[in-house]
Amino acid sequence: MKESICFTLNGKETLYTGSPAFRLLDVLRDEYRLTSVKCGCKEGECGACSVILDGELVNSCMIAMGRCEGSTIVTLEGFRTTERFAVIDKAYAAVSAVQCGYCIPGMVLATEALLTKLPHPTEEEIREGLSGNLCRCTGYNAIVKAVQIAAEEGNGLW
Amino acid sequence: MVNGFMPLSLKEALDIRSAHEVIPYGGGTDLMIQGNTDDCYLFLNRIPEMKKIYEDETYLRIGGSSTFTEVLASPLVPKLMKEAVSRIAAPAIRNAGTMAGNIGNGSAKADSVLIAYVADAKLRLLSAKGERIVPIAEFYKGRKQLDLGSDELIVEILLPRHGLENYYYKKVGGRKALAISRISFAGVIQIEQGVIRHLAVAFGAVADTVLRFPELEKIFEGKTLAEAHEERRSFVETYAQQLHLTKGRVSAEYRKEVCMNLLQDFLDVKGI
Repeated sequence: MKESICFTLNGKETLYTGSPAFRLLDVLRDEYRLTSVKCGCKEGECGACSVILDGELVNSCMIAMGRCEGSTIVTLEGFRTTERFAVIDKAYAAVSAVQCGYCIPGMVLATEALLTKLPHPTEEEIREGLSGNLCRCTGYNAIVKAVQIAAEEGNGLW
Repeated sequence: MVNGFMPLSLKEALDIRSAHEVIPYGGGTDLMIQGNTDDCYLFLNRIPEMKKIYEDETYLRIGGSSTFTEVLASPLVPKLMKEAVSRIAAPAIRNAGTMAGNIGNGSAKADSVLIAYVADAKLRLLSAKGERIVPIAEFYKGRKQLDLGSDELIVEILLPRHGLENYYYKKVGGRKALAISRISFAGVIQIEQGVIRHLAVAFGAVADTVLRFPELEKIFEGKTLAEAHEERRSFVETYAQQLHLTKGRVSAEYRKEVCMNLLQDFLDVKGI
Protein backbone atom coordinates (compact mmCIF):
# COMPACT_ATOMS: atom_id res chain seq x y z
CA MET A 1 0.00 0.00 0.00
CA LYS A 2 1.29 3.46 -0.90
CA GLU A 3 2.22 5.74 1.96
CA SER A 4 1.57 9.02 0.17
CA ILE A 5 -0.40 10.54 -2.67
CA CYS A 6 1.65 12.23 -5.36
CA PHE A 7 0.14 14.88 -7.62
CA THR A 8 0.96 18.15 -9.33
CA LEU A 9 -0.64 21.17 -7.69
CA ASN A 10 -0.44 24.46 -9.54
CA GLY A 11 2.69 23.26 -11.32
CA LYS A 12 4.47 21.87 -8.23
CA GLU A 13 5.08 18.21 -7.44
CA THR A 14 3.20 17.60 -4.21
CA LEU A 15 3.28 14.72 -1.74
CA TYR A 16 0.23 14.39 0.45
CA THR A 17 0.49 12.04 3.41
CA GLY A 18 -2.99 12.41 4.94
CA SER A 19 -6.02 10.21 4.49
CA PRO A 20 -7.10 9.21 0.94
CA ALA A 21 -10.71 9.60 2.11
CA PHE A 22 -10.38 13.31 2.87
CA ARG A 23 -12.03 15.79 0.53
CA LEU A 24 -9.82 17.58 -1.97
CA LEU A 25 -11.70 20.79 -1.08
CA ASP A 26 -10.72 20.59 2.60
CA VAL A 27 -7.14 19.61 1.83
CA LEU A 28 -6.68 22.46 -0.66
CA ARG A 29 -7.99 25.02 1.82
CA ASP A 30 -6.66 23.71 5.12
CA GLU A 31 -3.39 22.03 4.19
CA TYR A 32 -2.26 24.12 1.21
CA ARG A 33 -4.07 27.37 2.12
CA LEU A 34 -5.53 27.71 -1.38
CA THR A 35 -8.52 29.71 -0.22
CA SER A 36 -9.80 30.72 -3.65
CA VAL A 37 -11.46 27.31 -3.51
CA LYS A 38 -14.74 28.05 -1.72
CA CYS A 39 -16.97 25.70 0.21
CA GLY A 40 -20.53 26.45 -0.79
CA CYS A 41 -22.62 23.29 -0.50
CA LYS A 42 -20.40 20.20 -0.15
CA GLU A 43 -22.69 18.26 -2.48
CA GLY A 44 -21.75 19.31 -5.99
CA GLU A 45 -24.64 21.71 -6.41
CA CYS A 46 -22.95 25.11 -6.49
CA GLY A 47 -19.56 24.99 -8.22
CA ALA A 48 -17.85 27.37 -5.76
CA CYS A 49 -15.17 24.72 -5.10
CA SER A 50 -14.41 24.12 -8.80
CA VAL A 51 -10.86 23.20 -9.74
CA ILE A 52 -9.33 21.81 -12.91
CA LEU A 53 -8.22 18.19 -12.59
CA ASP A 54 -6.34 16.72 -15.54
CA GLY A 55 -7.79 19.43 -17.76
CA GLU A 56 -11.41 18.91 -16.69
CA LEU A 57 -13.54 21.06 -14.42
CA VAL A 58 -14.53 19.17 -11.26
CA ASN A 59 -16.09 20.01 -7.92
CA SER A 60 -13.35 19.54 -5.32
CA CYS A 61 -15.96 18.80 -2.63
CA MET A 62 -16.84 15.61 -4.53
CA ILE A 63 -13.29 14.30 -4.90
CA ALA A 64 -11.49 12.18 -2.32
CA MET A 65 -7.71 12.56 -2.15
CA GLY A 66 -7.09 8.99 -3.32
CA ARG A 67 -8.62 9.98 -6.68
CA CYS A 68 -5.87 12.60 -7.07
CA GLU A 69 -2.92 10.18 -7.20
CA GLY A 70 -0.93 10.91 -10.35
CA SER A 71 -3.16 13.81 -11.39
CA THR A 72 -2.59 17.46 -12.20
CA ILE A 73 -4.67 20.01 -10.31
CA VAL A 74 -5.00 23.71 -11.02
CA THR A 75 -6.76 26.15 -8.70
CA LEU A 76 -7.35 29.82 -9.37
CA GLU A 77 -4.06 30.57 -7.56
CA GLY A 78 -2.24 28.62 -10.26
CA PHE A 79 -4.36 29.79 -13.15
CA ARG A 80 -4.06 33.49 -12.35
CA THR A 81 -0.44 33.58 -13.57
CA THR A 82 -1.55 32.82 -17.14
CA GLU A 83 -2.27 35.12 -20.04
CA ARG A 84 -5.69 33.50 -20.41
CA PHE A 85 -6.56 34.51 -16.86
CA ALA A 86 -5.66 38.13 -17.64
CA VAL A 87 -8.13 38.11 -20.52
CA ILE A 88 -10.91 36.58 -18.43
CA ASP A 89 -10.17 38.93 -15.51
CA LYS A 90 -10.42 41.99 -17.75
CA ALA A 91 -13.62 40.74 -19.39
CA TYR A 92 -15.35 40.08 -16.05
CA ALA A 93 -14.33 43.54 -14.83
CA ALA A 94 -15.44 45.25 -18.04
CA VAL A 95 -19.08 44.27 -17.60
CA SER A 96 -19.15 44.18 -13.77
CA ALA A 97 -19.73 40.44 -13.76
CA VAL A 98 -18.55 40.26 -10.15
CA GLN A 99 -20.49 41.35 -7.13
CA CYS A 100 -19.83 39.49 -3.86
CA GLY A 101 -17.17 37.39 -5.55
CA TYR A 102 -17.80 34.09 -3.77
CA CYS A 103 -18.66 32.16 -6.95
CA ILE A 104 -16.05 33.86 -9.08
CA PRO A 105 -13.04 31.52 -8.67
CA GLY A 106 -15.31 28.69 -9.82
CA MET A 107 -16.81 30.81 -12.60
CA VAL A 108 -13.37 31.77 -13.89
CA LEU A 109 -12.20 28.14 -13.95
CA ALA A 110 -15.47 27.08 -15.60
CA THR A 111 -14.82 29.78 -18.21
CA GLU A 112 -11.30 28.46 -18.77
CA ALA A 113 -12.57 24.86 -19.06
CA LEU A 114 -15.29 25.92 -21.50
CA LEU A 115 -13.04 28.02 -23.73
CA THR A 116 -10.44 25.24 -23.79
CA LYS A 117 -13.07 22.93 -25.31
CA LEU A 118 -14.97 25.55 -27.31
CA PRO A 119 -12.89 28.66 -28.07
CA HIS A 120 -15.89 30.39 -29.69
CA PRO A 121 -18.97 29.20 -27.82
CA THR A 122 -22.53 30.25 -28.57
CA GLU A 123 -24.56 31.84 -25.78
CA GLU A 124 -26.30 28.51 -25.22
CA GLU A 125 -22.96 26.71 -24.95
CA ILE A 126 -21.77 29.30 -22.44
CA ARG A 127 -24.87 28.82 -20.31
CA GLU A 128 -24.41 25.04 -20.49
CA GLY A 129 -20.71 25.36 -19.63
CA LEU A 130 -21.48 27.47 -16.56
CA SER A 131 -24.61 25.54 -15.58
CA GLY A 132 -23.04 23.93 -12.52
CA ASN A 133 -21.81 27.23 -11.11
CA LEU A 134 -24.38 29.17 -9.17
CA CYS A 135 -24.28 32.94 -8.63
CA ARG A 136 -26.86 34.57 -6.39
CA CYS A 137 -25.83 38.18 -7.16
CA THR A 138 -25.59 38.85 -10.86
CA GLY A 139 -28.43 37.02 -12.55
CA TYR A 140 -25.83 35.46 -14.89
CA ASN A 141 -26.31 37.75 -17.89
CA ALA A 142 -23.22 39.81 -17.06
CA ILE A 143 -21.17 36.64 -16.57
CA VAL A 144 -22.33 35.23 -19.91
CA LYS A 145 -21.40 38.53 -21.54
CA ALA A 146 -17.97 38.42 -19.86
CA VAL A 147 -17.32 34.97 -21.30
CA GLN A 148 -18.32 36.21 -24.77
CA ILE A 149 -15.90 39.12 -24.43
CA ALA A 150 -13.12 36.84 -23.17
CA ALA A 151 -13.65 34.54 -26.18
CA GLU A 152 -13.37 37.50 -28.55
CA GLU A 153 -10.49 39.28 -26.83
CA GLY A 154 -8.56 36.09 -26.19
CA ASN A 155 -8.87 34.92 -29.77
CA GLY A 156 -6.04 32.44 -30.37
CA LEU A 157 -5.20 31.89 -26.69
CA TRP A 158 -7.55 28.93 -26.41
CA MET B 1 -2.69 4.77 4.75
CA VAL B 2 -5.34 2.23 5.73
CA ASN B 3 -8.44 3.82 4.25
CA GLY B 4 -7.76 3.84 0.57
CA PHE B 5 -6.44 1.66 -2.23
CA MET B 6 -5.35 2.98 -5.63
CA PRO B 7 -4.83 -0.05 -7.87
CA LEU B 8 -3.45 0.20 -11.41
CA SER B 9 -4.85 -3.04 -12.81
CA LEU B 10 -8.11 -4.95 -12.67
CA LYS B 11 -6.44 -7.97 -11.09
CA GLU B 12 -5.00 -5.86 -8.31
CA ALA B 13 -8.39 -4.20 -7.75
CA LEU B 14 -10.19 -7.57 -7.56
CA ASP B 15 -7.62 -8.96 -5.12
CA ILE B 16 -8.07 -5.93 -2.86
CA ARG B 17 -11.86 -6.15 -3.19
CA SER B 18 -11.85 -9.77 -1.96
CA ALA B 19 -9.27 -9.28 0.81
CA HIS B 20 -10.57 -6.05 2.38
CA GLU B 21 -13.78 -4.34 3.27
CA VAL B 22 -13.79 -1.51 0.75
CA ILE B 23 -16.27 0.77 -0.97
CA PRO B 24 -15.75 0.92 -4.75
CA TYR B 25 -15.12 4.56 -5.68
CA GLY B 26 -15.98 5.59 -9.24
CA GLY B 27 -16.20 9.37 -9.48
CA GLY B 28 -17.17 10.12 -5.89
CA THR B 29 -20.07 12.37 -6.86
CA ASP B 30 -22.56 10.36 -4.80
CA LEU B 31 -20.20 8.91 -2.18
CA MET B 32 -18.68 12.24 -1.17
CA ILE B 33 -22.02 13.78 -0.25
CA GLN B 34 -21.74 11.67 2.91
CA GLY B 35 -17.96 11.84 2.70
CA ASN B 36 -17.39 9.64 5.73
CA THR B 37 -13.64 9.87 6.38
CA ASP B 38 -13.65 6.47 8.09
CA ASP B 39 -14.70 4.75 4.87
CA CYS B 40 -12.07 2.75 3.04
CA TYR B 41 -12.30 3.44 -0.68
CA LEU B 42 -11.14 1.35 -3.60
CA PHE B 43 -10.34 3.98 -6.24
CA LEU B 44 -11.17 2.67 -9.70
CA ASN B 45 -10.21 5.60 -11.91
CA ARG B 46 -6.85 4.27 -13.08
CA ILE B 47 -7.79 0.78 -14.21
CA PRO B 48 -7.39 0.65 -18.00
CA GLU B 49 -9.79 -2.31 -18.41
CA MET B 50 -12.56 -0.26 -16.81
CA LYS B 51 -12.01 2.85 -18.93
CA LYS B 52 -12.58 1.34 -22.38
CA ILE B 53 -15.64 1.79 -24.57
CA TYR B 54 -15.64 -0.70 -27.45
CA GLU B 55 -17.77 -3.08 -29.49
CA ASP B 56 -17.54 -6.83 -29.88
CA GLU B 57 -19.78 -9.00 -32.06
CA THR B 58 -22.70 -8.81 -29.66
CA TYR B 59 -22.38 -5.80 -27.40
CA LEU B 60 -21.28 -2.26 -26.95
CA ARG B 61 -19.11 -2.55 -23.85
CA ILE B 62 -18.83 0.53 -21.66
CA GLY B 63 -16.14 0.33 -19.00
CA GLY B 64 -17.55 1.00 -15.55
CA SER B 65 -15.05 3.76 -14.81
CA SER B 66 -15.93 5.69 -17.97
CA THR B 67 -17.04 9.16 -16.92
CA PHE B 68 -20.24 10.64 -18.28
CA THR B 69 -18.13 13.08 -20.29
CA GLU B 70 -16.25 10.16 -21.87
CA VAL B 71 -19.53 8.44 -22.71
CA LEU B 72 -20.77 11.63 -24.39
CA ALA B 73 -17.55 11.85 -26.40
CA SER B 74 -17.68 8.26 -27.69
CA PRO B 75 -18.96 7.80 -31.25
CA LEU B 76 -20.06 4.27 -30.30
CA VAL B 77 -22.57 5.14 -27.58
CA PRO B 78 -26.20 5.28 -28.81
CA LYS B 79 -27.95 8.63 -28.96
CA LEU B 80 -30.55 7.59 -26.40
CA MET B 81 -27.90 6.92 -23.74
CA LYS B 82 -26.14 10.16 -24.60
CA GLU B 83 -29.32 12.15 -24.31
CA ALA B 84 -29.95 10.82 -20.80
CA VAL B 85 -26.33 11.21 -19.70
CA SER B 86 -26.21 14.77 -21.03
CA ARG B 87 -29.03 15.64 -18.62
CA ILE B 88 -27.08 14.48 -15.56
CA ALA B 89 -26.20 17.39 -13.26
CA ALA B 90 -23.68 19.78 -14.87
CA PRO B 91 -20.30 19.55 -16.66
CA ALA B 92 -18.16 19.29 -13.50
CA ILE B 93 -20.21 16.36 -12.19
CA ARG B 94 -20.24 14.69 -15.61
CA ASN B 95 -16.45 15.01 -15.73
CA ALA B 96 -16.15 12.99 -12.51
CA GLY B 97 -19.19 10.70 -12.24
CA THR B 98 -18.95 7.24 -13.76
CA MET B 99 -21.28 4.70 -15.35
CA ALA B 100 -20.64 1.97 -12.75
CA GLY B 101 -21.04 4.54 -10.00
CA ASN B 102 -24.44 5.59 -11.34
CA ILE B 103 -25.51 1.93 -11.19
CA GLY B 104 -23.78 0.99 -7.93
CA ASN B 105 -25.29 3.92 -6.05
CA GLY B 106 -28.53 1.97 -6.37
CA SER B 107 -30.92 4.84 -7.04
CA ALA B 108 -34.00 4.44 -9.23
CA LYS B 109 -33.46 8.08 -10.21
CA ALA B 110 -30.12 7.37 -11.91
CA ASP B 111 -30.48 8.75 -15.43
CA SER B 112 -28.23 6.22 -17.18
CA VAL B 113 -29.89 3.29 -15.37
CA LEU B 114 -33.26 4.10 -16.97
CA ILE B 115 -31.63 3.61 -20.35
CA ALA B 116 -29.89 0.44 -19.24
CA TYR B 117 -33.34 -0.93 -18.33
CA VAL B 118 -35.10 0.01 -21.55
CA ALA B 119 -32.16 -1.33 -23.56
CA ASP B 120 -32.05 -4.69 -21.72
CA ALA B 121 -28.46 -3.98 -20.75
CA LYS B 122 -26.42 -6.52 -18.86
CA LEU B 123 -23.71 -5.97 -16.31
CA ARG B 124 -20.39 -7.74 -16.39
CA LEU B 125 -19.44 -8.35 -12.79
CA LEU B 126 -16.01 -9.67 -11.89
CA SER B 127 -14.49 -11.02 -8.73
CA ALA B 128 -11.18 -12.76 -8.12
CA LYS B 129 -13.17 -15.99 -8.49
CA GLY B 130 -14.70 -15.26 -11.88
CA GLU B 131 -17.29 -13.51 -13.99
CA ARG B 132 -21.06 -13.09 -13.85
CA ILE B 133 -23.22 -11.48 -16.53
CA VAL B 134 -26.40 -10.15 -14.93
CA PRO B 135 -29.36 -8.46 -16.68
CA ILE B 136 -29.87 -4.98 -15.22
CA ALA B 137 -33.43 -5.72 -14.05
CA GLU B 138 -32.18 -8.68 -12.02
CA PHE B 139 -29.29 -6.69 -10.61
CA TYR B 140 -31.71 -4.35 -8.82
CA LYS B 141 -33.49 -6.44 -6.21
CA GLY B 142 -35.21 -3.59 -4.41
CA ARG B 143 -34.56 -0.15 -2.99
CA LYS B 144 -30.77 0.13 -2.76
CA GLN B 145 -30.62 -3.69 -2.89
CA LEU B 146 -28.11 -4.86 -5.47
CA ASP B 147 -27.08 -8.30 -6.65
CA LEU B 148 -23.43 -7.46 -6.07
CA GLY B 149 -21.15 -9.60 -3.93
CA SER B 150 -18.79 -7.93 -1.46
CA ASP B 151 -15.93 -9.23 -3.62
CA GLU B 152 -17.40 -8.09 -6.97
CA LEU B 153 -16.98 -5.01 -9.13
CA ILE B 154 -19.20 -3.67 -11.94
CA VAL B 155 -16.58 -3.83 -14.67
CA GLU B 156 -18.62 -3.25 -17.84
CA ILE B 157 -22.09 -2.26 -18.94
CA LEU B 158 -23.15 -4.30 -21.98
CA LEU B 159 -25.59 -2.61 -24.35
CA PRO B 160 -27.08 -4.17 -27.47
CA ARG B 161 -25.37 -2.81 -30.57
CA HIS B 162 -28.62 -2.09 -32.40
CA GLY B 163 -32.26 -1.45 -31.72
CA LEU B 164 -32.20 1.80 -29.74
CA GLU B 165 -32.41 4.10 -32.74
CA ASN B 166 -36.15 4.75 -32.60
CA TYR B 167 -36.67 6.05 -29.10
CA TYR B 168 -38.55 8.52 -26.92
CA TYR B 169 -36.99 10.05 -23.81
CA LYS B 170 -38.15 12.61 -21.27
CA LYS B 171 -36.67 13.72 -17.99
CA VAL B 172 -38.84 15.77 -15.67
CA GLY B 173 -36.71 17.73 -13.22
CA GLY B 174 -37.07 20.86 -11.16
CA ARG B 175 -34.71 22.90 -13.33
CA LYS B 176 -32.59 22.63 -16.46
CA ALA B 177 -29.23 21.81 -14.90
CA LEU B 178 -28.28 20.13 -11.61
CA ALA B 179 -31.68 18.47 -11.59
CA ILE B 180 -32.44 15.16 -9.94
CA SER B 181 -35.08 13.37 -11.98
CA ARG B 182 -38.57 13.64 -10.53
CA ILE B 183 -39.83 11.34 -13.22
CA SER B 184 -37.93 9.91 -16.15
CA PHE B 185 -39.31 7.93 -19.05
CA ALA B 186 -37.79 6.06 -21.95
CA GLY B 187 -39.49 4.14 -24.72
CA VAL B 188 -37.96 2.16 -27.57
CA ILE B 189 -39.75 0.73 -30.56
CA GLN B 190 -38.63 -1.32 -33.55
CA ILE B 191 -40.92 -1.32 -36.56
CA GLU B 192 -40.29 -3.39 -39.68
CA GLN B 193 -42.51 -2.86 -42.71
CA GLY B 194 -45.23 -1.39 -40.55
CA VAL B 195 -45.13 -4.23 -38.00
CA ILE B 196 -44.01 -3.69 -34.42
CA ARG B 197 -41.19 -6.12 -33.72
CA HIS B 198 -40.17 -4.84 -30.31
CA LEU B 199 -41.39 -2.32 -27.81
CA ALA B 200 -39.91 -1.41 -24.42
CA VAL B 201 -41.02 1.17 -21.88
CA ALA B 202 -39.21 2.12 -18.67
CA PHE B 203 -40.19 4.48 -15.87
CA GLY B 204 -37.50 5.97 -13.62
CA ALA B 205 -37.54 7.79 -10.29
CA VAL B 206 -41.07 6.67 -9.41
CA ALA B 207 -40.55 3.51 -7.33
CA ASP B 208 -37.83 1.56 -5.51
CA THR B 209 -36.28 0.53 -8.82
CA VAL B 210 -36.74 1.51 -12.44
CA LEU B 211 -39.98 -0.14 -13.63
CA ARG B 212 -40.62 -2.20 -16.75
CA PHE B 213 -43.47 -4.55 -17.61
CA PRO B 214 -42.22 -6.97 -20.28
CA GLU B 215 -45.51 -8.88 -20.43
CA LEU B 216 -47.38 -5.69 -21.33
CA GLU B 217 -44.80 -4.71 -23.94
CA LYS B 218 -45.43 -7.99 -25.76
CA ILE B 219 -49.10 -7.06 -26.38
CA PHE B 220 -48.09 -4.97 -29.40
CA GLU B 221 -45.42 -7.26 -30.79
CA GLY B 222 -46.24 -8.62 -34.24
CA LYS B 223 -49.02 -6.08 -34.72
CA THR B 224 -49.25 -3.32 -37.29
CA LEU B 225 -49.37 0.27 -36.06
CA ALA B 226 -53.06 0.37 -36.98
CA GLU B 227 -53.79 -2.82 -35.03
CA ALA B 228 -51.86 -1.48 -32.05
CA HIS B 229 -53.85 1.74 -32.26
CA GLU B 230 -57.06 -0.28 -31.99
CA GLU B 231 -55.84 -1.79 -28.73
CA ARG B 232 -54.23 1.35 -27.40
CA ARG B 233 -56.91 2.18 -24.87
CA SER B 234 -56.75 -1.19 -23.11
CA PHE B 235 -52.95 -1.15 -23.32
CA VAL B 236 -52.83 2.19 -21.51
CA GLU B 237 -55.41 1.10 -18.96
CA THR B 238 -53.39 -1.99 -18.13
CA TYR B 239 -50.35 0.18 -17.49
CA ALA B 240 -52.45 2.42 -15.25
CA GLN B 241 -53.46 -0.65 -13.22
CA GLN B 242 -49.89 -1.96 -12.97
CA LEU B 243 -48.10 1.26 -12.07
CA HIS B 244 -47.87 1.25 -8.29
CA LEU B 245 -45.72 4.25 -7.51
CA THR B 246 -44.21 5.48 -4.28
CA LYS B 247 -44.18 8.98 -2.88
CA GLY B 248 -40.87 10.80 -3.09
CA ARG B 249 -40.04 14.47 -3.40
CA VAL B 250 -43.31 14.62 -5.30
CA SER B 251 -46.55 12.76 -4.60
CA ALA B 252 -47.36 9.31 -5.95
CA GLU B 253 -50.44 10.78 -7.68
CA TYR B 254 -48.34 13.36 -9.53
CA ARG B 255 -45.86 10.70 -10.55
CA LYS B 256 -48.65 8.49 -11.86
CA GLU B 257 -50.26 11.26 -13.88
CA VAL B 258 -46.97 12.30 -15.47
CA CYS B 259 -46.01 8.67 -16.23
CA MET B 260 -49.34 8.10 -17.97
CA ASN B 261 -49.04 11.37 -19.91
CA LEU B 262 -45.56 10.39 -21.08
CA LEU B 263 -46.72 6.92 -22.09
CA GLN B 264 -49.54 8.48 -24.12
CA ASP B 265 -47.14 10.96 -25.72
CA PHE B 266 -44.72 8.15 -26.60
CA LEU B 267 -47.54 6.25 -28.35
CA ASP B 268 -48.67 9.44 -30.14
CA VAL B 269 -45.20 10.26 -31.37
CA LYS B 270 -44.58 6.72 -32.60
CA GLY B 271 -47.85 6.59 -34.54
CA ILE B 272 -49.81 4.16 -32.34
